[in-house]
Amino acid sequence: MQTWIAKNRTTLVIAAVVVVAAYVFYYAKNDIAPSMYVSAWGYAIPLVLASLVGVIGERSGVVNIGIEGQMLIAAFAGFFVAAYSGSMLAGVLAGVGSGLVAGAFLAWTTVRWRMDQIIAGVVLNIVATGITSFYYTPGQILPGVIPNLTVPGLSSIPLIGDVFFTGESAIALFAIVAALLVHVGLFRTRWGLRTRAVGEYPSAADTAGIDVERLRIINVTLAGSLAGLAGVYLSMDASSTFERSMTAGRGFLALAIMIMGMWRPLRAFSMALFFGFISAVASQLQQTGGFAVPPQLTGTLPYVATLVVLAVAAGRVRAPGAVGQPYVKKDQ
Amino acid sequence: MKSTRYLVAVPAALALALAGCGGSTGSGSGGGTDSSASGSADSGAPTDDSNCADEAVFCIGLVTDTGKVDDKSFNQSAHEGAKAAAADLEGYYKYIETQDAKDYAANMQQFTNKKYDVVVTVGFLMTDATVEAAKGSPDTKFIGVDQGYPEGTSETNLTGLVFPEDQAGYSAGYLAGLMTKTNKLGQVLGLEIPPVQKFAKGFENGAKAANPEVSVKTVYHPAGDNAFNDPVWGAGQAKTQLSQGADIIFGAGGNTGNGALQEVAKSKGAGTDTYCIGVDTDQWDTVPAAQPCLITSATKLITKGVTDTITQAKDGEFEGVQTVGEAGLAPYHDFDSKIPDDVKTKVDDVVKQLQDGSLKTDVTL
Repeated sequence: MQTWIAKNRTTLVIAAVVVVAAYVFYYAKNDIAPSMYVSAWGYAIPLVLASLVGVIGERSGVVNIGIEGQMLIAAFAGFFVAAYSGSMLAGVLAGVGSGLVAGAFLAWTTVRWRMDQIIAGVVLNIVATGITSFYYTPGQILPGVIPNLTVPGLSSIPLIGDVFFTGESAIALFAIVAALLVHVGLFRTRWGLRTRAVGEYPSAADTAGIDVERLRIINVTLAGSLAGLAGVYLSMDASSTFERSMTAGRGFLALAIMIMGMWRPLRAFSMALFFGFISAVASQLQQTGGFAVPPQLTGTLPYVATLVVLAVAAGRVRAPGAVGQPYVKKDQ
Repeated sequence: MKSTRYLVAVPAALALALAGCGGSTGSGSGGGTDSSASGSADSGAPTDDSNCADEAVFCIGLVTDTGKVDDKSFNQSAHEGAKAAAADLEGYYKYIETQDAKDYAANMQQFTNKKYDVVVTVGFLMTDATVEAAKGSPDTKFIGVDQGYPEGTSETNLTGLVFPEDQAGYSAGYLAGLMTKTNKLGQVLGLEIPPVQKFAKGFENGAKAANPEVSVKTVYHPAGDNAFNDPVWGAGQAKTQLSQGADIIFGAGGNTGNGALQEVAKSKGAGTDTYCIGVDTDQWDTVPAAQPCLITSATKLITKGVTDTITQAKDGEFEGVQTVGEAGLAPYHDFDSKIPDDVKTKVDDVVKQLQDGSLKTDVTL
C-alpha cells in the first residue's frame, strides 16, 4: 500500500486537488455547476467507451484508428434496426453486434493478414462513411428511449451521486462499469497479463506458450462491441437521430484521450471527464455573456487543453512496445 | 487462405464503390452524379444536358453546400425550389452534392462547361466561389441562396437570394417571450455566420420586446466542419440549458439544432412546460421526433424564393445583385389550441408590422 502511494504520489495529489476543486465549485456556483458536470459527463460517455477500445487494442499491440468507423456503423445499425423493428433492445443488440463485426474485420485484416494497421483503420472509416451515407433514409423515429436508472445508495452521495448515478441511462452506467472491469482485467487477471505481454513483447509471450495472433484477434474483436455501444449511445441515447458522419471526430478524440490516459483505463476515464468539463466550460463561457469572446475562440479551449496536457505528459508516457507491428513467428 | 481473402476483399471493394456513390462530388466520376440527377418528367422537357447551349433548351444546375438534398434543411428546400422551377418552365434540372468545400468551383464548372442557363449555389459558405464563377461565365446566370455580396459587386448575371431571417427570428422570439414561464430562453445554434446570427439576434430582440424580464442563453457550435451536423452536441447543449431553467429552446443550425429540438421533446414536461422552436422550414414535417414540443418554426421560404428567381432568370433580368425573399412563422399545428388567443393576436400583429416595415428588428451584425 505504502509503495503504491509513493509510486503514484503525483497522480494522487492531482486527483485530490481536482476533487476538492470540483466540490468547491459545485457548492459555490450551485446555479450552473451541476448542469455543467452533467454536460461534461454526457460528453465524456462515448469518449470513455471509445478510448477503452483503443486501450484494449493497443495493449494487445494493434493500433485501432477505425474506432470512428466502428462507432458510425453501430450508430447507424442501432438506430435503423430500432426504428424499423420497433424494439429498442433489437437496436442496441444490432449496434453492438455491428461494432463486433467491424472489430472482427479490423482484427482479421491486421493480425491474420498482417495488413498495415493504419491502412486497415482508414479503410474501415471510409467504408463506414460510404455505407452509412448510402443507405441513410431521413424521417425515421426511434420507438422509445433507453431506460434511465438511479442506483440506490450511490445516488445519495453529493455531486458524484447526482452526476453519475441519478437518472442515468443504462449505457452511461455501463461505461463506468466497463472502465473498472477493463482496469481490473488488464492489471489483475491472467488475461490482462497475457494481453500486455502480447502487446509489449510478443516473441517472449509466444515462447511462454501464448497464441499471440489468437489473443490479439479476440481482444480487438471484443473491443469492437464497446465501440458499438459508444455508437449506439450517440444515435439512440445522446440524440435520437442518425445523421451522416454524426460521430464528428469523437473516435479520433478517443485516441488522444487514450494517450493522455497513458493507455490505462481509469486514467483515460478521468481524461475523458476532464475533456468533457473543458467543453462544458467553453459552452458556458459563451452563454454567460459579459465578456464577448468569439465562440470560435472558446471552442478551441478543449483542444488547447489537450495540447497542454500532451505536452506536459510528453516523455513520461510510453506506448506498448509492439504496438503497430504484426507478429511474425521467426520460423515462418 | 488465398480464396478467403477474396471473400473479404471483393465486398470491401464493392463497399468502396458504394462509398463513391454516396459522395457524389461530381468532379470526374460521372456515375454518381448522373444516376442521382433527376430530370423533369414533363413531356417536351429535355431529358439530358447535351443541348444546353441551345437557346430553346433551358437547363438548371444546382450545387449544394457540403450537404445532401435530403438534409431536411436549406439544401433540400433549394433543391425542391429548383425542381419545381424545372417542372414549371419545362427545363432540365440536375444537381451536384458537394463533398468537400474545395470542390465548389469544380462543381459549378461542370455546369458552366455545358452552358447551363442557370446555376443555383446553396449556402453562405459558397459566396466567394459563386462571385468568381459568375465573373468567369457571363453567359450563365447565378443564384446564390443565403449569399450577401460585398458592395461594388456589379455582375448582372448574379443575384444573391437573401431572407430577412431577423424578422422570422423576431416573431419566434416574441412568441417565446410571451410563452415562457421561467423567463429564461435558450438558443442552440450552428456556425456563427450571418444567416444564423440574424435568426439568433432577431430571436433575442423579439423575446425582449415581448417580455423585458427575459434572458436568452446563446450557444454557437465551435467547430467549422460539422457545425451543422452534430446532433449529439446540440442535444447536450439543450439539456444543459433546460437544467439551467430555460423552458423554450430555439434550435437553429441544421442537424445540430434538430438534436436540440429532439432533446427538448424527450424532456419531462415537453409540450406543457417546455417547448422548442425550429428553423428554416416547417420542422413539424421535417423532424417528426420534435413534434411533442415544437410550437412553431422560424422559416424562410427558400423553395418559393428559388423558384421565383429561376423564373426571373428565364424571363430576363434579376431584380438586382440581391433578391430579398420572404420569411415568417410556420403554423402552430397541434399547439394551435394550447397557445392563448391573446398571444396569437399579438404575434400576428408583430408579423404584420414587420412585413409592412412599421416595426424594425434592430438587428445589426
